[in-house]
Amino acid sequence: MSYLDLDNLSKSFKDDKIISNLNAKIEKGEFFVVFGPSGSGKTVLLRLLSGIMMADSGEIKMDNQIINELHPEERDVSMAFQNFALYPHMKAYENIASPLRAKNKNMPENEIHEKVNEIANLLKIGHVLNQFPKELSNGQKQRTSLARSLVDKPSVVLLDDPLRNVDAKIRFEMRLELPKVLKEFNTTVIYITQDFREAMALGDRIAVLYDGKFNDIDSPKNIYQNPSSLTTAKLFGDPTINNFDATIKKQDGFVEVDVNGEIFNLKRNTKIQDGKCIVGIRPEDIVLSNDHSENSIEVEFRTKTPLNLRIVFLVRLKNGLELLCSTTEEESHLIDENKKMYISFIEEKSHFFDIETKRNLE
Amino acid sequence: MSINVWSILKFFAYVAIIMFFLFPIAWIFNMSFMTNDEILRKVPVLFYEPTFKNYIGLWEGEIAIEGFATMYVYFKQNLINSAILSVGSVSVTLLLGVPAAYAFARYKFKGGEDIAFTLLSFRFAPALLIILPLNLYFSEIGLYDSYFALIWVYQLITLPLLLWIVRGYFEDISPDIEYAYRLDGHSWFQSFWKISIPLAKPGIAAASLLCFIYAWNNFVFALILGSSQIQPVTVGALAFITASAIPYGLIACGIVVSVLPTLILALFIQKYLVQGLSLGAIKG
Amino acid sequence: MKINRKLFPYVLTLPALLVCVGILIPFFTAVYYSLQRYNLKMPHMKGFIWFDNYVNIFTDPSFWNTIRVSLTYTFFTIIIELLLGLGIALLLAKRTWLNNVLGVLLVLPLMIAPALASLIWRLLINPNFGVVNYILSFLGLEDFTWASHPDTVLFTLIMVDVWVFTPFIMILLLAGLRSLPRQPFEAAELDGVPEYYKFFRITLPMLFPFILTASLFRLLESIQQFDIIYALSQGGPGESSMVFQVSAYLQTFQYTNIGKAAAMMVVLWAICYFLCHVFVQQWHKLKIKTKGELLQ
Repeated sequence: MSYLDLDNLSKSFKDDKIISNLNAKIEKGEFFVVFGPSGSGKTVLLRLLSGIMMADSGEIKMDNQIINELHPEERDVSMAFQNFALYPHMKAYENIASPLRAKNKNMPENEIHEKVNEIANLLKIGHVLNQFPKELSNGQKQRTSLARSLVDKPSVVLLDDPLRNVDAKIRFEMRLELPKVLKEFNTTVIYITQDFREAMALGDRIAVLYDGKFNDIDSPKNIYQNPSSLTTAKLFGDPTINNFDATIKKQDGFVEVDVNGEIFNLKRNTKIQDGKCIVGIRPEDIVLSNDHSENSIEVEFRTKTPLNLRIVFLVRLKNGLELLCSTTEEESHLIDENKKMYISFIEEKSHFFDIETKRNLE
Repeated sequence: MSINVWSILKFFAYVAIIMFFLFPIAWIFNMSFMTNDEILRKVPVLFYEPTFKNYIGLWEGEIAIEGFATMYVYFKQNLINSAILSVGSVSVTLLLGVPAAYAFARYKFKGGEDIAFTLLSFRFAPALLIILPLNLYFSEIGLYDSYFALIWVYQLITLPLLLWIVRGYFEDISPDIEYAYRLDGHSWFQSFWKISIPLAKPGIAAASLLCFIYAWNNFVFALILGSSQIQPVTVGALAFITASAIPYGLIACGIVVSVLPTLILALFIQKYLVQGLSLGAIKG
Repeated sequence: MKINRKLFPYVLTLPALLVCVGILIPFFTAVYYSLQRYNLKMPHMKGFIWFDNYVNIFTDPSFWNTIRVSLTYTFFTIIIELLLGLGIALLLAKRTWLNNVLGVLLVLPLMIAPALASLIWRLLINPNFGVVNYILSFLGLEDFTWASHPDTVLFTLIMVDVWVFTPFIMILLLAGLRSLPRQPFEAAELDGVPEYYKFFRITLPMLFPFILTASLFRLLESIQQFDIIYALSQGGPGESSMVFQVSAYLQTFQYTNIGKAAAMMVVLWAICYFLCHVFVQQWHKLKIKTKGELLQ
């Protein structure tokens, strides 16, 4: 039995459908990442879950109880806001103590003290508890806001892109630290991000939100390897996946791809039917070399640029099709752009999508 | 050369401005420490022995004038009335206006803007148009000459003022901060009381002071809707000056005491004055 | 629960709304009175007479006198206050020690009740001991008649109004001047543009929204001015300073002619409404033009 059950949730503003018929089942203790491009309705979804906004239709069930109509304070849900939403007139200590003072009216001061210090030390902000939010660095604000959402051990923690507004170094640290901290609390986490790397690093499962609903809900690995549609495939990957229209024909052990007369073979075992489709190949699944080999295609070098510790090459096939290939820095040193260049494709690393619906055909 | 002419002109401009705008206030202060004899000289005296007799007389309510019997003045009651009316009006305005200002700032609701603008428009309607019928009503239902009725009518001025200033301050608070507090497990009222109000406090304080000044300075409402029993200093001082035989020093003293509270308060709200005076249309 | 959320804002505004209603009732009552023959001294003659009161006041030369006096008063107070306020604001625009102190002190007249301001000036221009008369005598002006003569009473009233309300214009325009962006001025300086050109082509146009706002507020207050005039001249001598509200006040409390007074107030209200409407339209146009940069 799932712990949190979203059933046909819909929310629109005027004629603008933000969320339409969204479904999900989330398990207790799960780290559930909601990933989607900006404007896809991630924050609206969190607001529906927290009770800040009301769904137009559909049900939110928590532990088998419908909580749609409950006010925020009546739900056992806490949230860390993207903009931190710290109380500017209270010190960090009081910010973190706020949930304790609210829910357990009679909690003795020393117990509050203990709990605040415990979570603060865990998040390494024990030394700034006596400061006001405006005196804190962005990283400290973010940790304070996290501490506030965790201190009362809520059943569900909603994290609204908490690493968005902190600098790269803190983001990197937190990406390692956050899962550890959250595991200690054994709480259900719904984490919003628009960074696919963050999603893949943190999530037990990732739900991919666009067009108002979850298009994929699966483990990071499965979504990456087997995206439900071209749109999902495009969202996971930087540089984004190469895709082009082609006519394919299944052969023994490989697929023959015809792109405007240029024909090459992809080593694939697949049940896909012959015909027109969109072929998607990730830049890192293309091997670049100066040496000709079986199944390799000659390409023309266009340009290259470093990206995320890798080197991205833009190459052009004879028929004009341009592809991006991504290599490690070491690999890139082995390639001489002034010589002839060839590409080949890694086995079983290609995707086929329907031309009309963009759905994954496999 | 031309720069010299320019700075001389500037100098005279400063002198003229200071003379015209500030000298009258200074001179009234000056007069309030003079005896009637010193005031009545054709050539004004600049050096004299300042006396507090006027202030003492005003406070004690009786003043002995040479050659006449003792005079009784009731100005103290006017001061008390002014204080009751102003403090009362501001309190009622805070009670009514702060929640409404919050609603206008936070929620888009049907008719909300209309209500806000209707309230604002009263600020610019001719006062007599409204108090004239009220005067007849109040006489009929026995509300004439009551603090309660006057305080209610004072809301005409103070309520829109507070509403439009404080609204802006609530709008500046991120709603997320309030939501965060509610997600911590607090009710709406707790978040309003512990988060929204403390954060809008500078605006609420400034607006209250400005409301107080406007209430204190009001003249026409009490002139029409109240008898001398409940009339504030503005009306009282006019009665004072029209009555014969009251020493001029005492009148000056009455005026000084009447304007002093607002002058002092004005110094406290310098920072918020522009926004307040323009009802939030201009941010100072 | 769901209904609760929708009703909640109304619950918060309800008390203010009730006060609002309590004020709308007298407003409509006044309009109703204006259509009645209603004199407190002759209660038995009360009756509905349609627009007779309006016909009456508009055929009454003294009402036309009231309109003329009110408009004269309004016109001169606003022109003088705008020019003077702008002048002082320009003079004080630079943030020096003296200017900051003056910026605070010059607001003081505005904080004095207009009725009390009139009384202050009454003491200053008293024919027996007024210090202003003494100062004027050095300028060769002996026995200026001030409020006691029909020719000078409006001047006196306008002077008091200017004394009280110029600071209002000044403080708003000063805030405006100090909030203007620096770049256009720096660019003009680099181009060696003359001062007067800078003033008329940069300062004034950019300041215009502030001038408009300040004028709107002043216009509506000035045409309704009661306190200053009632406390200083009560509309006299004769009817030489009889403005709308003073006239209506006297109609009510001296002649007890409620119907007529109400009709006069409705006319004043209509004028205010019209002026407000025109102004707000201009203001909106301007706001669109400046894309809300200057006015929030």
